[in-house]
Amino acid sequence: MPTDREEHISEKAKEQVEIKPAKLIDISDLHPYNQESLIVSLDHCIKCNTCKYAFGAFTPSCPSGEEFGWEAYWASGRIRLARALLTGKLEWNDEILHPIFACITCGSCQDQCQAVHNDRIVDVIEALRELAVKRLGAPENQKKMEDRVGKDFNPYGDANSTNEELKKKYNLPNNAKVVYFIGCTSNYRQKNLRNATLSVFNKLGIDFTLVDEHCCGSPLIRTGQTDLIPDLMDHNIRVIKEAGAETVVTSCAGCYRTLKKDFTKFGKDLGVRILHTSEFILPRLSVGMLKEMDKKVITYHDPCHLGHHLGFYDIPRQLINFIPNLEFIEMERIREASWCCGAGGGVKIGYPDLAISTAKKRIHEAEETKAEYLVSTCPFCKRNLSDANKKVGNPLKVIDLVEIVDELL
Amino acid sequence: MKLERNSRINQTNKSEIKSKLEEIFGAKNVTDKKHNLLPYSYDATECEPGMPDFICMVENVGQVINVVKYANNKKIPLVPYITGNNIGGLTIPQEGGVVLDFGKKMNQIIHIHESHMYALLEPGVTFGQLYKHLKENYPHLRYCYPFAPPYSGVVGNAILSGMNNLSCIHGSMGDWINGLEVVLYDGSIVRIGSCFMGDKLSVDNWHSRYPMPDLMGLFVNWQGATGIVTKCAVQLWPRKKIERKLLAICKNSAVTAEFIREIGRLEIVDDISAVSVEVAKMALGDPTPVKLDSEPDFPVILPMSAHNEQHYQVKVDLVNQCIKKIEKKYNTTIQCTDFDYFAACIGDDIRVFADLPNVITPLVEYSGLTWVGTYAPPDNLEPLIDETAQVFIKFDIPMFIYMKSMKSSHYAIFRPIIRYKKELEEERMKKATADILEVCLKYGCIPYKTPVWMAKRLQEIIDPNWLKFFKRTKKFMDPNNIFNPGRWGI
Ligand SMILES: Cc1cc2nc3c(=O)[nH]c(=O)nc-3n(C[C@@H](O)C(O)[C@H](O)COP(=O)(O)OP(=O)(O)OC[C@H]3O[C@@H](n4cnc5c(N)ncnc54)[C@H](O)[C@@H]3O)c2cc1C
Ligand code: SF4
Ligand code: SF4
Repeated sequence: MPTDREEHISEKAKEQVEIKPAKLIDISDLHPYNQESLIVSLDHCIKCNTCKYAFGAFTPSCPSGEEFGWEAYWASGRIRLARALLTGKLEWNDEILHPIFACITCGSCQDQCQAVHNDRIVDVIEALRELAVKRLGAPENQKKMEDRVGKDFNPYGDANSTNEELKKKYNLPNNAKVVYFIGCTSNYRQKNLRNATLSVFNKLGIDFTLVDEHCCGSPLIRTGQTDLIPDLMDHNIRVIKEAGAETVVTSCAGCYRTLKKDFTKFGKDLGVRILHTSEFILPRLSVGMLKEMDKKVITYHDPCHLGHHLGFYDIPRQLINFIPNLEFIEMERIREASWCCGAGGGVKIGYPDLAISTAKKRIHEAEETKAEYLVSTCPFCKRNLSDANKKVGNPLKVIDLVEIVDELL
Repeated sequence: MKLERNSRINQTNKSEIKSKLEEIFGAKNVTDKKHNLLPYSYDATECEPGMPDFICMVENVGQVINVVKYANNKKIPLVPYITGNNIGGLTIPQEGGVVLDFGKKMNQIIHIHESHMYALLEPGVTFGQLYKHLKENYPHLRYCYPFAPPYSGVVGNAILSGMNNLSCIHGSMGDWINGLEVVLYDGSIVRIGSCFMGDKLSVDNWHSRYPMPDLMGLFVNWQGATGIVTKCAVQLWPRKKIERKLLAICKNSAVTAEFIREIGRLEIVDDISAVSVEVAKMALGDPTPVKLDSEPDFPVILPMSAHNEQHYQVKVDLVNQCIKKIEKKYNTTIQCTDFDYFAACIGDDIRVFADLPNVITPLVEYSGLTWVGTYAPPDNLEPLIDETAQVFIKFDIPMFIYMKSMKSSHYAIFRPIIRYKKELEEERMKKATADILEVCLKYGCIPYKTPVWMAKRLQEIIDPNWLKFFKRTKKFMDPNNIFNPGRWGI
């Protein structure tokens, strides 16, 4: 992704006409990676609208655009807002925060866009958020997450769990080659998922441990609140190193993306292999280890942080197909065309109606498959899809894949 | 760059207008917030930006009637918008006003008439949407697809006389409109074409636009300046069993121009799309390609369809015979091969030109995209290519010329294209497009989806009586100049 603005303009061309770069506002207080992302917004995106559909499938792709309709609420509109703010064509006011923050950062637009900047679209939106936070402050609800992380190292405001009790309960050593990085949502809200992962690891006889992990930083990076990020990352790098880990496994799609991508973006090196639980478990299973599933029908929801953000589509499906005697029926929108659960990017806390209406659309899609189980591989997806499922009031069971594996192992 | 122009809407009566718009469309479908207006204020081209005062998301015909009556009474500009993908600044408000966005909520495929072979559409239907609908429900029927992104309006392109992958046999998209429903300036509805039978909308009677006087011309190519289209029936065609493509590689302008003309006249290929060889390189990942002397100038894609293998083979033989004649005349070689085979050898990225609807990746490289898109006299393609090439060389812009034979080579499309970084190179591209326009005008080309600045230049050289008549027609159709005012530079 070239960000050198004049790189393709030859000297000969410059002789014809004076090249006048637009005058930009000062963005030097932003994280360098985010500065670069904003420059991407200046020189890319013609607003061809391709990201409004799943590419090739022609089904709706952007939850925020579908909800609000105005151009400013689709990826291209946000890129235009970034450009206009950078070049001073748009002044700051509190209302601008809506299109900037009512985006789930699901990254679906990235999968649909066919232009060279496609893998930077969410970066642009996150950079725009950092700019907004620096100029106006974060919106109230999103700010709460930063306050809580600052105080208790998790965005839920619960007292920090050092995980010592869990280590005792599961008789885990202080040092191990594998660290299970639980993630805040599993540790403080979706504890079933955490417990199932711990149980599966035990049943598989894995030599692993837990660390006094702090929030991976995902909810703050996604909402442009970057001040605490270096400390959070340094802390997690330190405790993981101290545990002697070579591999970090997480069952949270958000943590997975952050550990895999954002650490590098912020100039940090974890220096270990990072795996999602599904990819850690799969090679350790062999035929006959899992009980049968009595022809139960299940369908799978791709978490955006795995799918749209990292192209991680196959492994969960391979794991599902490894389970004996189940019927796996896909929803209409899957893989690159998949529809978000609605929870990410600070939307669950900042725009709860958008979060729920997005999840409801997914629940209805799952219902069409006649599945009994709607399976995902992310605690945050599980949480929001469960919330919507309750509101819709239907019998679908929303569950994480690791919970199924635990039941069958 | 100043975004606000002299809007006709006076700030003091803005809140009154907003209340009325909210009454018509519902509050959640009306906005005047600057951040919402901004994305509608400019497009990918060099056309001057301009802010609207309001955007309204339109849901139904009743709302259009009400807003038109109100706007006509108050002399408020109405700018119809579908996806804004026209590459000509055609939805940029020239005098502020209300943008009517049809893309989001008035986008139903109302009816597909299988035996009469047409689709009756609301204005917001996109190419991708129609493609999916036909593929899933009417696989024996086909529509046509331009090099435009799938999320571009079908009706928008039909009423702008767009061109696409069936244009060699069927011509311009404007010719394939069977009927229109339009809201006129006084809020009355008029139905053009066979759909005028009876006052009740019957979805079954949109089969043709003739033999009445063809009033379609009052709305096609007017860029939304004579009325608001609320329904449009477009022709579909039977899908033949075999759909394949050939790829021919031509050297120099003379050979390429002759190839486009002569193959078009055979009347056996669906489309002829020639692009500069540099563009193929762009699609394969080189943003600033240089053509080597040893390389040919134009790859030409020939989509073809046939009822069976025998039929297809006859067509291929005829193409090959025609190629032999051209080779002999110009003492040249034209490589012609199966497109799939070529793509398998060179890389699948090249398929974007063949598997439509698609995104032509070279077109979306930067933040700016512009072209001088013209309807051209086929006999002038050689000098057009050669002289336009000089402009590309002068400005050191990678050559990007796109050409088509239209309707068996009765006319052609000549479209030099420029991609650029909008916030860096606008001035340079303005100069380059102005130079290209002069070349095109010199050889009798007429710019389509005409931006205001090109329309103004055109007015300097065309028949003044035409212009007078055109202005009178506009006045008759829109006495208070509310429909997309300023378009065509009048
Ligand atoms: C990358 C790219 C490649 C393209 N390649 C091609 C190509 O190969 N061939 C081709 O033909 N086109 C091509 N196009 C242009 C093209 O897609 C269109 O011109 C188009 O689909 C119309 O755009 P739209 O539907 O977004 O309409 P808009 O741009 O929103 O509107 C087009 C015009 O119609 C008017 N209008 C809109 N709605 C109404 C209404 N309800 N009643 C009356 N007037 C109305 C508008 O005011 C405007 O003047 C390309 C575009 C892009 C971005
Ligand atoms: S982000 Fe990509 S797909 Fe979306 S409008 Fe911009 S260029 Fe097109
Ligand atoms: S990240 Fe998701 S919600 Fe945000 S603009 Fe892209 S597709 Fe829409």
